[in-house]
Amino acid sequence: MASSKPLIEELDNTAPMQAENQQGNLSLIVRGFIDMFPLCVAVIPWGILCGSLAIQVGLSPWQAQAMSLFVFAGAAQLAGMQLIGLGSPAMPVLSSTFVISSRHLLYSAVFQSYVRDLPLFKRIVFAFFLTDEMFALTNAYIAKHKRFCYVYAVASGIAFYVMWNLATLVGIVAGNNIENLQAYGLEFAIAATFIALVVPAIKDKPVFMSVLASGVSVLILELLAFEYALIASTFIGMFAGYYFAKKSSAKESATIKSEAKKRAVSVETKQEQSDE
Amino acid sequence: MSNDLLIVLMTAITFSCRYLFFMKSLPISLSPRVQQLLQYTAPSVLTAMWVPIVFLGHKTEGASFFHSPFLYAGLITVLASLKIKNTLTVVVVGMGSFLILNWVL
Repeated sequence: MASSKPLIEELDNTAPMQAENQQGNLSLIVRGFIDMFPLCVAVIPWGILCGSLAIQVGLSPWQAQAMSLFVFAGAAQLAGMQLIGLGSPAMPVLSSTFVISSRHLLYSAVFQSYVRDLPLFKRIVFAFFLTDEMFALTNAYIAKHKRFCYVYAVASGIAFYVMWNLATLVGIVAGNNIENLQAYGLEFAIAATFIALVVPAIKDKPVFMSVLASGVSVLILELLAFEYALIASTFIGMFAGYYFAKKSSAKESATIKSEAKKRAVSVETKQEQSDE
Repeated sequence: MSNDLLIVLMTAITFSCRYLFFMKSLPISLSPRVQQLLQYTAPSVLTAMWVPIVFLGHKTEGASFFHSPFLYAGLITVLASLKIKNTLTVVVVGMGSFLILNWVL
């Protein structure tokens, strides 16, 4: 007992800082889990569909789970498995994987300045968990707190990963017992979460215009059955936002200039009046 | 090609897309102008994913546009997200209204 006393005192010097740090990290992790929860709920039906479809197209249970464990990309997995089910050769499967995943190139570009200088392991972990959902939440966090938080981002990504794999497992176990699951319109769950994420983010005209431009162009391109509709309309939306941001900032500086001019003129006239 | 190899290659593709710009040896560094452009990635890409589901979702079920639960539940979700701050509540309202409409329409 007596011998442990100095040890405690020694620990005490460093303990408060460490404890504070740990508590900070812990609350960030919890925050990440909580914020990801609604998105996890919405993805459950998709995960189940992915698992059962994998079994239905003839993958082994292990292969079906491996898809979610390693590929970890819902839309790419579903498209790939539908092609496998049709007896497609490998190349179309891989090219569809690339087309669907290409939007992730943009996500990695968006976070480049925050992540590129981290150690290799941290970069690999961040990239592995970088899904649409983690991208959206991390963006929202940056918008709210004006800073990037690695711990928060990865924690939310891991929460989503765990849920996605559990849902896949349920689908694998259910396997052929789930018939025509797609007819239930499961995609709507994804639409609902994305609406819930996008609408509150519309805070100014440039963002609104980017949403409008991307939404209108994706409808047109989808109706034309353009293969790259998603990525093309994303770019259209981005350019629209950029254009209107430039335009409004030009307008702002113009009004500031004209106001400054007016003020200068009024000062001059006042001076003239006082001179008289 | 075996399915195992296919899964390995799909993994390589999805991971590369997510990792590319984190490579230290990548000779591309993004200019401030590109960074400004990238600010609009999230609203653009998420919209490009939800809009087709809401407005073209009826095609997967063979329903007509004006009888589509996707359309009406989508509009309800948009309204809900304007009024309600909590994401989970919005998602629950959206999915709930879809299930009801899917059953009614």
